[in-house]
Amino acid sequence: MSDDRDTVDLPATIRLPRLLDFYELQTADHTRIHEFYEALQDGQLTTTECRDCGDLQFPPRVLCPECHSEDLAWTDLPHEGDLFAFSAMRAGAPLGMEDDVPFVTGIVDLGPVKLSARIDGAEYDDLAIGDPVALKIVDVDGPVDHERVFYRFEPR
Amino acid sequence: MPRAGIVGGGHTTWGARSATYKDMIQEAGKATFEAVPGLGPGDVEGLFVGSVQPERYAFQSHVAPMVAELVGVDVDAMIARTELACASGQAALRYAWLAIAAGELDVALVLGVEKMNLPREYQGEAQAGMTNVLDREFDGVNGLNAPPYFAMVAQRHMHEYGTTREQLAMVAAKNKSHAAHNEFAQFQEEVSVDDVVDSFELSPPLCLYDCSGITDGAAGLLLVSEEKAAEIEAEATWIAGSGQACFASNSINNLPSMSAWPQATTAAESAYEQAGIDDPVEDLDVAEVHDCFSISEIVEYEDLGWVEKGEGGQFVEDGRSQLDGDIGVNPRGGLLGCGHPLGATGVSQAIEVHDQIHGNVPSARQVPDAETGLIHNLSGSAAVHSVMVMEGGRP
Repeated sequence: MSDDRDTVDLPATIRLPRLLDFYELQTADHTRIHEFYEALQDGQLTTTECRDCGDLQFPPRVLCPECHSEDLAWTDLPHEGDLFAFSAMRAGAPLGMEDDVPFVTGIVDLGPVKLSARIDGAEYDDLAIGDPVALKIVDVDGPVDHERVFYRFEPR
Repeated sequence: MPRAGIVGGGHTTWGARSATYKDMIQEAGKATFEAVPGLGPGDVEGLFVGSVQPERYAFQSHVAPMVAELVGVDVDAMIARTELACASGQAALRYAWLAIAAGELDVALVLGVEKMNLPREYQGEAQAGMTNVLDREFDGVNGLNAPPYFAMVAQRHMHEYGTTREQLAMVAAKNKSHAAHNEFAQFQEEVSVDDVVDSFELSPPLCLYDCSGITDGAAGLLLVSEEKAAEIEAEATWIAGSGQACFASNSINNLPSMSAWPQATTAAESAYEQAGIDDPVEDLDVAEVHDCFSISEIVEYEDLGWVEKGEGGQFVEDGRSQLDGDIGVNPRGGLLGCGHPLGATGVSQAIEVHDQIHGNVPSARQVPDAETGLIHNLSGSAAVHSVMVMEGGRP
């Protein structure tokens, strides 16, 4: 055996792995609900609704989970709603969100749907159930080849 | 249907372990067979492994054959890993029960294991694995891992039913104090209601002591047919009923409620009916329920049918879930006291019910006259509930 050992070199840093990026790839090359993200780029929150049975889905789907019809229509969602529930992330955040701590996350009642969302522009102690909130859209910067967006809410 | 019974099981030490996923599988395998002198690895026909995210936490998949190799088990009938988030261990037990009931095999090893603690600078990566249990694209992305999600359940339950911050703390103080008498538990210190309320407000209204731990650990048990139990003359704990429910929902918009778990009611009614239980408060002596957070146990008192909706807080305040109460709830220490190595929890709960029924636990956590028990686990956003009723007796 030689006294000179070879060395296995591992990289000290790597790009954010694709599967540790919470945000979906948003273009037609990657997802069949790209129209949701395209509408969001244009400032509109949308979802899908079944033309056959009338079921309104959220998250948007590629076919109706209720009747399996593929005849879905894109429909606009309200941009204002009420805070249904909320809490805060003060420790134990996942990769990619650690620098945001503390932040408020909650559930917004838009009427047709209740969706989870980050609540910007407020501390936990400033908020109460039923508070009015409005849509805001954020750009998502990251190691992908297209511009991405996502929705959040803030007090109004 | 042929009966299947637990004849014993064992644990690793639970906590932040200086041990790998594979190390703990070996420890739990040895402890399991030491608890059942009549059976050895050569007797096992089926292997069921509960484990949630070894791909993330241990960078390993295809873990069931790895368990077979590490424990020295030749499987000749059935082998699988079950993944049902926090209920993965109970799911493994349920599948083993059905395999025995179907006549496919007579001896099953059910082993649950999770390695959740990564070196401190990598905890964000470990937490990423806890933030993709709801719909990752639309819920996880908003930071909805377990503490904020269950904090909102607590907030809604307090808002709708008047449940108090102190009642939540009573659950945590009870269960953590039980764990002071459990030598494998992650947290073995007596805790008071004031200690809970004064702990770090992690995701308000929940404080740190309202939350179960990030835990490394494993547990294994042996489940056998009635014929095999008679052959080895083992004391068994029979699975008398088992139910599960999920209502076409996992993401926030589609869950039936943020303050009630009707899936638990459906699963419990199914298990009670199979087991011939008419009045659970009267008929059950001991229960190991999924107290991933203090609020969970309060909702479970209600939706498992033990008390009217909205009165779960009063149930703990009145002492009805103490060891000497109507039902001794979480004598092991629960997830709050033992920690919650996801895939191992359901297996550990079943071992506790077996050991309670046969008087094999320290007297300080023994439920008096325990003859009939229950285990319950929710999974993920409480989208799925699993309930199992067990009873003692010789074959």
